[in-house]
Amino acid sequence: MTLKECYAALGGDYDEAMGRLRSERLVQKFVLKFLEDGSYRLLQDSLAAGDRNEAFRAAHTIKGVCANLAFNTLLASSEKLTESLRDGKPPQPGEEELIRQVDEHYQNTIRAIRAFQEGATG
Amino acid sequence: MKNRTTRFLFISLVGVALLCVCVFTFFAVHMSAQSSAAINQVGTLYMSGVSQQTAFHFENIMKLRLDQLETLVASVSDDDIHTDQAARGELIDDAMARDFPYLAIYKTDGSFEMLYGSSLTVIDPVPFLTALSQGEKKVAIGTNGAGEKVILLGVPASHSLTHEYPCAALVAALPVTYISDNLSLDENDEQMYSFIIRRDGTFVIRSFDAFRSSYFERARAIYEDVNGMDPEQYIEELEAAMVKNEDYSNEFTMNGKRHHLYCTNLPYSEWCLITFMPYGAMDDVVTSFTSEWGTLTIFSGSIILSALLLVFYKYYGLTRRQLREVVEARESAEEAREAAELARKEAEHANQAKSEFLSNMSHDIRTPMNAIVGMTAIATANIDDPQQVQNCLKKITLSSKHLLGLINDVLDMSKIESGKMTLSMDQVSLREVVDGIVSICQPQVRAKRQQFDVFIHDICTENVVCDSVRLNQVLINLLSNAIKFTPEAGQIHMALYEEDSPKGEDYVRIHIQVRDNGIGMSEEFQQHIFDSFAREDNQRVHRTEGTGLGMAITKYIVVDAMGGAVHVNSQPGQGSEFTITLDLEKAVATEEDMILPSWDMLVVDDDQQLCESTVASLASIGINADWTLDGESALDMVTKRHRRGDDYHIILLDWKLPGMDGIATARRIREELGDNVPILLISAYDWGEIEHDAKSAGINGFISKPLFRSTLFNSLRQFADIDQETEQTAQAEARRDLSGKRILLAEDNELNWEIASELLGEEGLELDWAENGQMCVEMFQKSPPGYYDAVLMDIRMPVMGGYEATQIIRALDRKDKNLPIIAMTADAFAEDVKRSLDCGMNAHVAKPIDVREVMRLLAKFIP
Repeated sequence: MTLKECYAALGGDYDEAMGRLRSERLVQKFVLKFLEDGSYRLLQDSLAAGDRNEAFRAAHTIKGVCANLAFNTLLASSEKLTESLRDGKPPQPGEEELIRQVDEHYQNTIRAIRAFQEGATG
Repeated sequence: MKNRTTRFLFISLVGVALLCVCVFTFFAVHMSAQSSAAINQVGTLYMSGVSQQTAFHFENIMKLRLDQLETLVASVSDDDIHTDQAARGELIDDAMARDFPYLAIYKTDGSFEMLYGSSLTVIDPVPFLTALSQGEKKVAIGTNGAGEKVILLGVPASHSLTHEYPCAALVAALPVTYISDNLSLDENDEQMYSFIIRRDGTFVIRSFDAFRSSYFERARAIYEDVNGMDPEQYIEELEAAMVKNEDYSNEFTMNGKRHHLYCTNLPYSEWCLITFMPYGAMDDVVTSFTSEWGTLTIFSGSIILSALLLVFYKYYGLTRRQLREVVEARESAEEAREAAELARKEAEHANQAKSEFLSNMSHDIRTPMNAIVGMTAIATANIDDPQQVQNCLKKITLSSKHLLGLINDVLDMSKIESGKMTLSMDQVSLREVVDGIVSICQPQVRAKRQQFDVFIHDICTENVVCDSVRLNQVLINLLSNAIKFTPEAGQIHMALYEEDSPKGEDYVRIHIQVRDNGIGMSEEFQQHIFDSFAREDNQRVHRTEGTGLGMAITKYIVVDAMGGAVHVNSQPGQGSEFTITLDLEKAVATEEDMILPSWDMLVVDDDQQLCESTVASLASIGINADWTLDGESALDMVTKRHRRGDDYHIILLDWKLPGMDGIATARRIREELGDNVPILLISAYDWGEIEHDAKSAGINGFISKPLFRSTLFNSLRQFADIDQETEQTAQAEARRDLSGKRILLAEDNELNWEIASELLGEEGLELDWAENGQMCVEMFQKSPPGYYDAVLMDIRMPVMGGYEATQIIRALDRKDKNLPIIAMTADAFAEDVKRSLDCGMNAHVAKPIDVREVMRLLAKFIP
């Protein structure tokens, strides 16, 4: 699995990422780094703890990382979740759905990267 | 008064001049007459002397001759003559010896018996004979045998020289020339000549150019005028004088020349000697003397006249100057009096106003003070009731704020009155000023449910040099007055427009207009609105708080300190309108080249003015925009273009629209177009309360009124794929070598940090990582001054966010506390940008990281 195929699998824009980071080496490096990023865990934990401000910040970070890496699918859903969580608002109707969507996209992204990782290393 | 003096002077001058002329003319005429009279007199005296001399001479000659003849008569006896021929011969001899050319015996019958010489005849025998008969010696004129005139000398003789008639006299005759020669009558002298005439006018001796037989004829023929008489009258006078045996003197004109004549009777005869003298030389002398005298008179007259004129002129000038000085003195005295009066009134008025103000102020200050004291007492009494205490504290806070406002105004005013208020000029963004004002006024406007609009017309020069604090103060004064004096649900309108300044290209003229439909002001009050301590109609306004100093301070700042102008236009019950005009220097810093791609945009607002000015501003940043006034038509336009496959790139929607409001319209547009087209909501208000609705309706962001060019640009640029021109300038700026610059990067996410570090490191920057805001502040504090060249600041970080960290850094006591801080965040709403800038950051860059943009901004802000 190439990096490009990986991007296609996770719903990202490979060309955009290349445009920003300029080399495949860097794109690969950061994409792999995404696996270690703790933001999603923080989001999950904060939501579970009911700390909506922290959850907002975590979603915001995910959004920022995805923007940098051009993970556009996850970017879109995390952005919606960020706005939903913004300013410590009480839970909005449909927020559960947003959380579920972010989770789905995140898992999808992780899967794609893992697949690529295995392909690259293996 | 001036005219009277001038007229008097003029009349005096003319009068004196006339008098001068009269006196001198009189003198001249009089002297001339006198001199001619003197000449006459001299002439007469001279002539009479000469005439008498001549007559005397004549008498002597005649006497001599007659004596000789008498001797002859005595030498013979009566008888001898008759009888003795010898005696007769002796007589003849003696006579001849005595040179008598003729000798005769004159008989009583009037005939002559010639002793020798040719026969003689007397021309007028009667008087001759009569005189001789009476024994007088007599001289007469007669003719000889040749008809020539001779002088007959007769001496009475009693001799009976003849037989028939007794002898009357012995007569000898002499030629006429004898007399004329002896008397020098015939000397052809130009100066003087004489005639001897008989009483009938016939000439005895004529000389000079006389050829007529009678002098009277001569006079009739050639005398033109005899001292005012015609010749005939003259002749009568002369004859009368001759008969009376008197001397006669007169003057006449002959051949145009004046002559003097003197007539005297000659003794022994019936003759007159007339002597003539032409005025000639004497006249010339006198004439020249007279003309000299006249010239002298005129000359001296003119000297005196000019002296008089000079004196009058000087005196006139002097008078006029004195008059002017008097008038001036009076005028200045009057002015001074008026000024003093005015000053007194002003002082009285000011004093009165100050007293009124003091009493108002003491009331005004006492009111919040009372509240503070009272509330403190209540709070103390209810110290256990947190609700009550909180309530009291709230009221105390309000009153304190109010009191502070009053005190600030009074301090400002005293600063102004002592001339200590100065401006601190700095580069100011009009946009920021107006933004700030709007957000300050919002709560008050909302509290009174007033409608507040801000209009920006074609502001091209946003950055000007001004004292932003004082400008703010002015605008807040105007707006808070408008809010204060406008009832609930009233309208307040603020407009800003710009034109070329008469002060030159480096200046721009800004008009700021604040209009309300509140209670307005009376005409009289408008006159005093800018006076210190003024407040209209204490009854009515007492309800309203304030010192009455606001407008005086405003006027001072705008007019006296900034050199601008304030205009008021107001009618009681209708509202007020204040217009401020300022000529402000354009800021030196060039504005960014604000150009966006040539998008098609739609502007929807119910105010046509706003639509048009927004479209114009958009055009100036390169965007083509349509506009419409309500949501329904906007939806139509959007749908039509969508069907053509030619969507608008961005839509600006006003929140408050007639019918369908902005949010509803946005929702409908989203239903039609999906999520592709960004929709921004225009709002003058804090959008906190509508944000949720707006977001859920699919609105991408907010854009705050007033819509400055830069507001539009900054809000819209986030939607721009980097425009070519911007890119070029960006590249140009990024090309600046920043390698070795040390950047502190605050970013909580490691992955993001690594990306940024990797990308920016490649550009030669040295980066230090701070995991959150607090670490960022600490690292900055520990670094030596000037160690970091800039900070890249994430906004959403744990422990301490970017806003707070920036504020702390800016507040540090370090020389480099103002280093460039650039926000880097995934929040791309306009309000995030604004907040970053409000916190003291220099710029804002959106995630995902765009190295070129970051480098451009760093290059821009790192000195």
